[in-house]
Amino acid sequence: MLAHWQSTSVDSHPRLAHLEHTIEHLSHLLPAQAPIRVFVHHNTLHAFEDQTFYDAVKQGSATYGCHAYLPEDRYRQKLARGRILPQDLAAALLEDPGEEPDRLIGFLGTRYHLRLAMLQHPLRLGPDAELRWLIAEADALRRFRDEAPVDVKEQMIDQTRRWVMRDLRNGAAAGDERIRRAVAVLFDRFGGSKIERWSEATWEAFTLQLLWYTCHHGVHGVQRFAEPLPPLVCHRDFLLHATGTDTDRYVNDVLIRFCAAFLDQGIARWTLPSRERGFLASFFALNRDSRPVDRWLRGLPTEIKRLEGIGYGALEIIAESLYLLGVDEAEEEAYLSRMLLALRGWTGMLWQMETNAEWAVHPAPTGTLVEYLAARLILERLAIDYFARAAWGNIGPLSDLRSRLRKGMPRAARVSVEQRAFLVFQLAQTLGWMPADLYRMSKGEWSNLVEEIESFSASERRRIYHLAFERRYRNQALDAIAAHARRAMPTTATARFQVVCCIDEREESFRRHLEEIARDCETFSVAGFFGVAMYYRGAADAHFVPLCPVVVKPRHYVVEEVVYSFEQSHRRRTETRRALGKASHRLHTGSRSGLAGAATALLGTLASIPLVARVLFPRLTARILRLFGSFVEPPPITRLLMERTDPEPGSKNGGLGYSLDEMVTIAECVLQDIGLTARFSRLVFVTGHGSSSLNNPHESAHDCGACGGGRGGPNARAFAAMLSDLRVRERLERRGLAIPRETVFIGAYHNTCDDSIQFYDLDRLPSSHHEEFERAKAALDEARRRNAHERCRRFESAELSMSPEAALRHVEGRAEDLSQVRPEYGHATNAICFVGRRLRTKGLFLDRRTFLTSYDPTRDDQENAILTRILQAVIPVCAGINLEYYFSYVDPTGYGCGTKLPHNITSLLGVMDGAASDLRSGLPWQMVEIHEPVRILFVIETTPQAMRGIFERNPALAGLVRNDWVQLATIDPDSPAIQLYRNGGFEPYRPETTELPVVKSSVDWYRGWRDHLGFASIADVNKPCGAAEEIAE
Amino acid sequence: MNVDTLYSVLGLGTVAFPALLLSVMGLTSLLGWPLGERTTARATQGAVIGGLLTAIAILAMMLASGTRYVPIELGNWEIAPTEHFHFHLKFVFDRLSVPFTILSFVLVGTIGAFANRYLHREPGYRRFFLLYDVFLLGMIVASLAGTIETLFLGWELVGLSSALLVAYFHERPAPVINGQRVWSVYRVADAAFLIAAVTLHHLTGEGNFAGLMDKGFWPEGVAELSSREALFVGLLLLVAAAGKSALIPFSGWLPRAMEGPTPSSAVFYGALSVHLGTFLLLRVSPLLDLSSLLSAAVVILGLASAVLAAMAARVQTDVKSALAFASLTQVGIITAEIGFGLRYIALLHIIGHACLRTLQLVRAPTLLHDYHSLENALGEHLPQQQAGFWERWVPDGVRLRYYRLALERGYLDAAINEYVVRPFVALFHWCDALERKWTDVLSGTPSRESDHVPPTMPIGEELT
Repeated sequence: MLAHWQSTSVDSHPRLAHLEHTIEHLSHLLPAQAPIRVFVHHNTLHAFEDQTFYDAVKQGSATYGCHAYLPEDRYRQKLARGRILPQDLAAALLEDPGEEPDRLIGFLGTRYHLRLAMLQHPLRLGPDAELRWLIAEADALRRFRDEAPVDVKEQMIDQTRRWVMRDLRNGAAAGDERIRRAVAVLFDRFGGSKIERWSEATWEAFTLQLLWYTCHHGVHGVQRFAEPLPPLVCHRDFLLHATGTDTDRYVNDVLIRFCAAFLDQGIARWTLPSRERGFLASFFALNRDSRPVDRWLRGLPTEIKRLEGIGYGALEIIAESLYLLGVDEAEEEAYLSRMLLALRGWTGMLWQMETNAEWAVHPAPTGTLVEYLAARLILERLAIDYFARAAWGNIGPLSDLRSRLRKGMPRAARVSVEQRAFLVFQLAQTLGWMPADLYRMSKGEWSNLVEEIESFSASERRRIYHLAFERRYRNQALDAIAAHARRAMPTTATARFQVVCCIDEREESFRRHLEEIARDCETFSVAGFFGVAMYYRGAADAHFVPLCPVVVKPRHYVVEEVVYSFEQSHRRRTETRRALGKASHRLHTGSRSGLAGAATALLGTLASIPLVARVLFPRLTARILRLFGSFVEPPPITRLLMERTDPEPGSKNGGLGYSLDEMVTIAECVLQDIGLTARFSRLVFVTGHGSSSLNNPHESAHDCGACGGGRGGPNARAFAAMLSDLRVRERLERRGLAIPRETVFIGAYHNTCDDSIQFYDLDRLPSSHHEEFERAKAALDEARRRNAHERCRRFESAELSMSPEAALRHVEGRAEDLSQVRPEYGHATNAICFVGRRLRTKGLFLDRRTFLTSYDPTRDDQENAILTRILQAVIPVCAGINLEYYFSYVDPTGYGCGTKLPHNITSLLGVMDGAASDLRSGLPWQMVEIHEPVRILFVIETTPQAMRGIFERNPALAGLVRNDWVQLATIDPDSPAIQLYRNGGFEPYRPETTELPVVKSSVDWYRGWRDHLGFASIADVNKPCGAAEEIAE
Repeated sequence: MNVDTLYSVLGLGTVAFPALLLSVMGLTSLLGWPLGERTTARATQGAVIGGLLTAIAILAMMLASGTRYVPIELGNWEIAPTEHFHFHLKFVFDRLSVPFTILSFVLVGTIGAFANRYLHREPGYRRFFLLYDVFLLGMIVASLAGTIETLFLGWELVGLSSALLVAYFHERPAPVINGQRVWSVYRVADAAFLIAAVTLHHLTGEGNFAGLMDKGFWPEGVAELSSREALFVGLLLLVAAAGKSALIPFSGWLPRAMEGPTPSSAVFYGALSVHLGTFLLLRVSPLLDLSSLLSAAVVILGLASAVLAAMAARVQTDVKSALAFASLTQVGIITAEIGFGLRYIALLHIIGHACLRTLQLVRAPTLLHDYHSLENALGEHLPQQQAGFWERWVPDGVRLRYYRLALERGYLDAAINEYVVRPFVALFHWCDALERKWTDVLSGTPSRESDHVPPTMPIGEELT
């Protein structure tokens, strides 16, 4: 049988191929968030990355209905508090390309002046009724706006007075009849006969009333400029406007439940029957013989049988549905995109599970997204048909429904004469536009003026505010970096010990404190997987997890093994853990079933003990639990199986680990990257990081981004193990990288949530180094205490008066607290990424807002191979983190996933709001609430020429920079000169100031402050230190 | 001070602490002196600890003296003396109310401490705690109620705060819709309760549980009603209990109630308010002894709910709904136990279950963390399907049907919409049409101005 939709095209195959192509194209609009257990930060608007940032956010608003920038009043608050200065607004307006700031608007000044006035003082807008009230009842026509400058106000009153006295009073004015009549009315109102005795206040009121009249009269009859509303596409929108019934509510309800069941990775105990046969097949199987009670669904079984009878595939169902709904090919893409975005979290997850999750327990088969659309369109048709019929009885074919409803659709709200007049009226008061001048303007000039005002729309204003806001922070940052760079002093002495951290901005404060405590130490940073891209399995882990950036697919496998002497106890403990695990799993599932649950519940009173203890004494409870846990943990001495015997890597015995040459390459590469190729200390710590917290479905978002949302401890340990291997050192030496024999590498793991540090393989520490290790460890301990202390200033529930010890206890409690929704603030407030030698930033207070990447420009080659390698990783990763925070902050419920409080873990894949909702992607508000949305500023210690070369060879990097997704500046390796990248080229940056506050220590600078802090230079840190400096305590 | 005065002082204290807390929180909000987070937390803590200590003191005194029944009279207000309408405020401490009160204090108090951190910096912090205080007072009044009208008072406070907490996130539509749903189910339950209370008054002349069931203290009381009267009143109370405890056919509201912040879901729907229906049945359990038909109805309703909920719990894919149905399974079993006359077991079951479920619900956001640890301990992915019986022995068709029934939650909500809400709404539409016709006739022109207002675009914030 030839179906009716096919009759429109002779051959259906190109049509279906086209549809498939369209859907695949549209799938890029879906959020690309992977299952929440491996949270990886990425640019929320990745789909629009080929456009400029400004176009992309506009597109994003149109596509997702989300905010592009903060609301206007938030920027105005910043203006009031000095986070934006008037000169920033001015600069942002003047530097805005293509906007012709110098354009004259009649004789009223330039576009720039008009816009600046609109930005500096909020214009009051409101519905007609409110305006009428303002005019008639409030003192809008009696007193000038508070914002009006006094001189402008006096000048206006004076001039008007002179004009009235000279020209108008005796009717001798220029011939305009209307103005004379208006003046006559006003004279009547104010008592024109006593005009000579009018008080100042009367003149003020008179001026304003004349002004109001002039404005009102002027804008009268000026045509509208507002863009028409975007046309409605979906039947659902038409129905919603016409009847108030939202069919999406019904359709989504069915689909949410079904998608969750289809994708479930292990919450439900009964899985969806025949889910292995695909989305549509299981949807049909489930509903084919159902007898729905809901009226709108009653046609579903029949429809399914009909479609199965014809033998349609998913694409054919989509094509037929579009035909039945009357969607022609021109609007097909728009329609399908609405269908996909109606539940964009779930659709995005279907797409992720289909294309990008072969590692998952239950990945989705190919074609899932297309099948979802088919199912959605079937439901859509049923719902529209039913609810339209319920509203209007017989409705005819669905394909005509939209054209019949189009007439009754709402129009864009009208801008009334009052509203426009009031805008001009307010602006005239701040800009000093005289009634005498205004009344002479022609209709054409009025029209220009109104268009000029209206074209500077709210979205444009917010964009300019945003640019000004970014400018303020950027200038402060660049000033501080330039000023500080002047003080930098290269050292030639060998440091007492060296620490290699992740580039993560959370380690900035840790390094700063460490350098303050132990002035003779040196710190470096490199992406926190330390070049070791691996699948890793710990001694107590069930599975291999990838520990490397998401873009890398690891080839190597590393396992942790308990040393042979503990083998027996290890086996015993594993068995015990397994038994305990089984028991608790049984308890977990049993308590949810009937009779087993009853038995559990009868003993459930015991649960009150952990409940009360956990909630009221989280830290103590955690300690007790850990004490018990230590009896079943793997024994303390373990090794990483690092060296491979098989030629090819694999996950089985001989394939585990790296070959010697591979280790040498990794070690060489990382050491070159960070510029640590000489002057090795006797102790080198390699510190990975991660985070552990409870009550946090987004736990992995706090882990190391360079480890793909994993914990970087094992990477640090593996890297240290590689460098501890003498054969690796020999080969390195042959390549010209000599590491002294007495240098010892120690792997460590920094938990950024509870600020603990764990050292690996200390059993191998030679006794010659024990004492030094103890001293270094004391410094590290003090540094983490102070780090906790600095972090605590951001937590409102932590007293500002806390001591570092109390702060450490506080953050330890946070990590173990079931009720804590802010275990840490993660990457919030990130704003800068510095790529260069630490000595340029050492001792600069960067407020945990700066990613620090070690790079030594003096050791790079002509081609800047090292810098290229670094930037290829650092720019996309940091930009991804920064932009995800940006978008989740500017629209916390649209781009972000809203508040954590009602979050409900679903299918082990993500979170919903409450009982049933779209799957929420993005970051929760509690993670971003202290963030400041600015695009990340890269400051790179190199020359503009070098950067241009790198851009030429790496179009992807260049795209991010050229399209303004990130900001970029270079700092000269030999001087504090800064070049800023703007509009496609580098221009020298002229510092606003060379002053930089100097304080004795970090704590002196941040103590007592909760809010963002400016930059400061920490005295002493950069002074070359004398003999062995003793650390505090 | 003799023992009786001590009893009444302590007894009054148990109720007065939550009442005082509520009035402080409510009045300061009303007068525009909002309390800060810290003060709120301290006040809550103080009131809960105060209430808990007095309750424990009474328990200790009762145990020491062997008393099993301590009434606290708070007056008998005659509202319309000629019609014999009176409102008798009375609290009793006995083997049922004391454990339940202590349970309420412990759970609500713990959750108060939990919520204090969980809702830190939340714009609705104070609103949450105000509702929380209403809930606490409601629970204590209901637990200690010595007359049916006192119980109703507490019952209403609990219902009101629960529905408002479901709709806590009122800026999104779903919580509001679900909050209204919960509210309407509660209203049905309340109506049944009220009719039962009035009938009871009519039959016995008062609502005093002690008078109703003299000769012996809970649970050994004997009601002074005929079997048929007991059946009538009992069935009404069963409807009330079913509404409050989400038994069939009202089960649909329980998963919907998971819209609010996690702590309120935990303590209210997972633990306390869902047990209030069973508490009511326990309180009037002597009625059940009078009519075996009534007992049978209770057992059947309980078991049916338990079976349905156990099935639904198995297919839920989100942790909160899974816990909601798991909770309902136990509530169903508890109801059946009451029907079988196992009162002490039912009480023990309630207490144990409430503690366990609260713990599980507050751990719900930690699920991924917990699963991860479990997987590591087991050394494999968690076994999902009980592959044995279900996969191997049940034929595909049957399995599909049960799965569908479970996924659709027994079609209960759809059925209520279809067979109750629809006719109800249709009736009112019909009345509305009739009225329009009349007013049109009387005024001679179309009288309903709202019919002719064109649709306007909802005014929203400009996005771009």
